[in-house]
Amino acid sequence: MLGAATRRELLVTGARAGAGGAAAALLGAGPAYAASTTPAPVSEAARLERLLSVELLMLFCYTNVLGTSLLTPHAETVLTPLRAHEEAHIRALRTRMAVLGGREPEPPASVVAADRDLARRGVKGRLGQLQGSHDALHLLLALERVVVGVYFVALIKLPDPQLITLSAEIMAADAQHQAIIGELLYSGNAQNAVPSGLVQGVQ
Amino acid sequence: MSEDDGASRRALLSGAGATLAGAAALGLAGCGSKAKTGRESVKNVARPIQRLDVQILSHLLDLERRTVAAYIAGIPLLSRPDAKTAKQFLDEELEHTGELLSLIKTAGGKGSVRTASYELGNPVNGAEVLALLHGLERAQIVAYLKAIPRLQPGSVRAAAASILANDAQHIAIIRMAQGMTAIPSAFVTGSE
Repeated sequence: MLGAATRRELLVTGARAGAGGAAAALLGAGPAYAASTTPAPVSEAARLERLLSVELLMLFCYTNVLGTSLLTPHAETVLTPLRAHEEAHIRALRTRMAVLGGREPEPPASVVAADRDLARRGVKGRLGQLQGSHDALHLLLALERVVVGVYFVALIKLPDPQLITLSAEIMAADAQHQAIIGELLYSGNAQNAVPSGLVQGVQ
Repeated sequence: MSEDDGASRRALLSGAGATLAGAAALGLAGCGSKAKTGRESVKNVARPIQRLDVQILSHLLDLERRTVAAYIAGIPLLSRPDAKTAKQFLDEELEHTGELLSLIKTAGGKGSVRTASYELGNPVNGAEVLALLHGLERAQIVAYLKAIPRLQPGSVRAAAASILANDAQHIAIIRMAQGMTAIPSAFVTGSE
């Protein structure tokens, strides 16, 4: 689930949430929405803050899951580099944030706080309730979809070419994470691991 | 493989382009609503930007068509599990061509004329087909990353990024099939 401001932006740009082609986000603004909602302009730093915030939650979840004994050895081997990728994404975004002088969001302070954030974003799983490898993988997959969705929305609005490229590179990497986690869950079934030709995540 | 076999393979690779017409049309047919939704957004930008977008999107369309041709020609040489995956990816590449064509048309363009044949080399086994597909997916990723910051408006940019993300997924799965590390970097740059 998006933050309130992002939700408003999405409505104004006419993007319809949920499954659908990328063109769902291309839908021109409906006159009623455009007339009734006039969101304040969102700064580039604020957009970056949203990206950092969801990446910090993603990293927290990888770290938490990898710190338990829930995963199979194979799943643990596959997921360990993905956590390192999230750390690299955060470093890159922080570098940009420092240039813009924006406020850096805090990572979740605890499992309870992370679970609250997961709920706010519409992710069904909870770190505190995972029963095994399958549960953990489903939670990570669901959150990766949310992360991709946040980048997809950001790419509609970001003005800076360098930040656009960085966002596209990270969005594509997180889409790869989805595919690899999907492979762990549905081995050999590409239809489940890579279910759509237009990857826009969950908004 | 005999010379005749090689010639047949070449013929198949050369002829693949011709097979695309129907397939691409199918991809387009599935995108009716996308064409409609893209129209307003693209038409609202200034004419020079539209022209630039059409050029950029047409180049991406050419690359997608080449990749479609390679999947069509290469699938018969793949093992059964790899072929099943490749068919799925082929469907998705066709979806990409449909999406790009609808964006080009809504920006006032026509889409480039389809090339009759593509020089795809002469792969003779599954491993060589995977290497070919890997190379083509990588070339697409490089092209999308170059194109995305230049595209306007942002909604067209995001649409292109959604295709890039899917091509990145393809290359990760292809790398796995090749026995390579699926995701070699935290950032998808196409420079492996």
